Amino acid sequence: MKVKIRQWNGVASWLWVANDENCGICRMPFNGCCPDCKVPGDDCPLVWGQCSHCFHMHCILKWLNSQQVQQQCPMCRQEWKFKE
Amino acid sequence: MESSDSTLNLSLSEAWDSATKALLSPSSLPLSDSLSVLRAHGVECYLGGFLLEALQMRLSESVVPEFWSGLKLPENDVDERGRAGVLVSAFQTLLDRLDPLLRESLFGSAQAPVSAPVSLSDRAHTVIRALLLSRPCPELEERVLEFYSRTFSVYMRQEGGEGGEGPEEGADGQEGALCAGCAVPTDQCWCREALEQLQRLSHILCKLQLLEWVSSKAVTQILHKLIEQRMERHCRGEYERSFLMDFQEVNDWLEQVLGWLRKVFSSEADRGLSMGAGSPLGASSVLKQWRCHMHQFFCRIYVNMRIEELFSIIRDFPESKPAIEDLKFCLERTNQRQQLLTSLKTAFESRLLHPGVHTSDILTVYISAIKALRELDPSMVILQVACQPIRKYLRTREDTVRQIVAGLTGDAEGCTDLASELSRGDPVTLELQESDEEGTDPEEWTPDPTDAVPDKSGPKRRSSDIISLLVSIYGSKDIFIDEYRAVLADRLLHQLNYSTAREIRNVELLKLRFGESHMHYCEVMLKDMADSRRINGNVREEESRLNKEEQPSLPLSAIILSSEFWPTLKEEKLELPPVVNRAMEEYTHRYEKLKAMRTLSWKPHLGSVTLDVELEDRTITNLTVSPIHAAIILHFQDKSEWSLEELSAQLGAPRDLVHRKLALWQQQGVLREEAGGRYSVMETGSSREKLERGVMLIDSDEERDSNTTTQSEQREEKLQLFWAYIQAMLTNLDSMTLERIHSMLRMFVATGPVVTEMDVEELEAFLQRKVREHQLIGSAGVYRLPKSK
Repeated sequence: MKVKIRQWNGVASWLWVANDENCGICRMPFNGCCPDCKVPGDDCPLVWGQCSHCFHMHCILKWLNSQQVQQQCPMCRQEWKFKE
Repeated sequence: MESSDSTLNLSLSEAWDSATKALLSPSSLPLSDSLSVLRAHGVECYLGGFLLEALQMRLSESVVPEFWSGLKLPENDVDERGRAGVLVSAFQTLLDRLDPLLRESLFGSAQAPVSAPVSLSDRAHTVIRALLLSRPCPELEERVLEFYSRTFSVYMRQEGGEGGEGPEEGADGQEGALCAGCAVPTDQCWCREALEQLQRLSHILCKLQLLEWVSSKAVTQILHKLIEQRMERHCRGEYERSFLMDFQEVNDWLEQVLGWLRKVFSSEADRGLSMGAGSPLGASSVLKQWRCHMHQFFCRIYVNMRIEELFSIIRDFPESKPAIEDLKFCLERTNQRQQLLTSLKTAFESRLLHPGVHTSDILTVYISAIKALRELDPSMVILQVACQPIRKYLRTREDTVRQIVAGLTGDAEGCTDLASELSRGDPVTLELQESDEEGTDPEEWTPDPTDAVPDKSGPKRRSSDIISLLVSIYGSKDIFIDEYRAVLADRLLHQLNYSTAREIRNVELLKLRFGESHMHYCEVMLKDMADSRRINGNVREEESRLNKEEQPSLPLSAIILSSEFWPTLKEEKLELPPVVNRAMEEYTHRYEKLKAMRTLSWKPHLGSVTLDVELEDRTITNLTVSPIHAAIILHFQDKSEWSLEELSAQLGAPRDLVHRKLALWQQQGVLREEAGGRYSVMETGSSREKLERGVMLIDSDEERDSNTTTQSEQREEKLQLFWAYIQAMLTNLDSMTLERIHSMLRMFVATGPVVTEMDVEELEAFLQRKVREHQLIGSAGVYRLPKSK
């Protein structure tokens, strides 16, 4: 007997490769989106800092904008630098 | 002055003597002479009482008994015709006896004492009525009814001419021997006589001023029966034609009936005319009164009949609209709303709301009821009240939501109404229903009907929108939206070609109903489908650039979900064959390249596979199966015989599941079950054997399993979450009442995207279960944790 697969339609869910489940700022799941967004994924990406913490991009930008003096990671208080 | 008094005095006493003598003796002596003397003296009014007494005496002593015995005179063997004659002659005798008295000029011309409000003759007639009809006499009524019925049918027969609309029609023609009017052999027909007797009787009764008292009841009964029969014949079970129109159109029928009435009341009418315009019962007014009566009868009988049939009318609604309109017209004229409500409720309960009726049928009837009753009662009160039991009942059915959602998306076989209703959905009117609280003119305010259920919502809130009504059965939209998500997820996951046009349309329509924010999740799901198609395209393109040997081992495409936005998918363990796993890894790899920092988590049990099975003597092509089916058959490719245990271990799936899935291949004639739970490939299955296989009804598990967890499973999960809270609360607070636990949970338990209200009953059931499982102690209305913990 020979089985020939013509087409295999699989189902998968995507997820961010992150070290945490939820965004430390908005507490929403990374795999969801930040409170201001409607659509997850490309439209609401994650960013990583050099301290290895990651957040929804929109969340961390809002945070950084609100910081007057120094731009720190809200989790570890190190200076925030985007990881390239 | 003095002298004239004394001269007259003499003749006055003489006159008085003669008058009283005349009155006391049964024979009627001429009174007029002495009366005129008395009148000249202005004392005749004192005679009035005397006269009345005399009348009364004579009545009770001789006239009335004579009348009754006259009526009873013939024994039962007399035929109808004879009975009619007796009736008339009894009244005739009555008249003959009383006439001389009544004819006395005393009654005609006597001036009643100023203080007396009624004339002497009126009083005399009252006395007659009182004595004659003081006790109810079924015999008289029976006779009168019989007589009037007969004359009516005779009249209708004569007037109807062309064959008649009379109630006793049908007797003519074939049964030529019988006269249609009087129902006796034609040679003995007494139609004419009957009509003459009618005329006579009317005349007599009129003279005695008994007409109304004697005949009203019979006439009413006849008309009632007549209309009832006519309605029975013309409109029972017939909802698609407006009978009301018919009734009013067949005016000549009505006129005929009125013509008969005119005959019955003709003499009275004449009298009315002769008495001048001041008479309260002029000819036309009597008839007008009867016309009103008939109309009233008609309405009431019609409403009665339709109330009985209302359930069927509702069931056939769009076709039965004329009946509803008629009913509406008549209902406004009779005071029978309460009766209608009660009867309709009972009908619903006995015919619809029992376990033998499929939920989709209940919904179909409910939808018809909404449509029909909003036609019947624009204030929606009947709808609201009568359908309360349906709503209550639907709440107890588990599949209600699923059925409604299926109806909305056009999947249900029965109710296509909902889908069209959804697409009809006019956002503007919906908006209006939501928001215009004080938009309407106060002048146009109409109070609620008295039977409205008093609630704070008021008439504005009483919606007639079918979808809103259905959705509000459960009080919240969320449960519907969750269900819709589950249905949508199922549909999308079973798609092979990523085509979502229909789903997009549905989601857009639902957005108009439920608002943008509620449908957000669904939109993301649809977007995932579009994204998946694009990603698949990208992956394909990349693959095509590879060399021959690097080509993927198996054509794999994927639906990539945003897990947070899809309903919880069933988790099932399934080990796919290495070749599939490899393909998936490759796909994941390409995806990771495409989307930085993202990866895929496969759901091996979901999806679909199209494959060909090549056997030695035959090939099954283009079979679409589930991944587990494919995995099973792929294993048989490597080794042609497996036991259930081996397969189950290999697939990492439970035995009974594998067993069920194997059935498909058995049915296809590819695999064969052998003794000892072993399965092997049938390389050379003859077609005959295959046929037998086909006939063997194996539980093939072909119904499309839902990929999403069911409502109850989700609930269960939620309850487990609550259980953790409850345990914590009870640890701290020792013991709590049911209500306390409920309110605490409401306060503290954060609600996720799947918001479902939990009511006290549900919580109680859950706690009771925990009590049964000895995880909780419930006593005297409070719950506490077992001591040992």
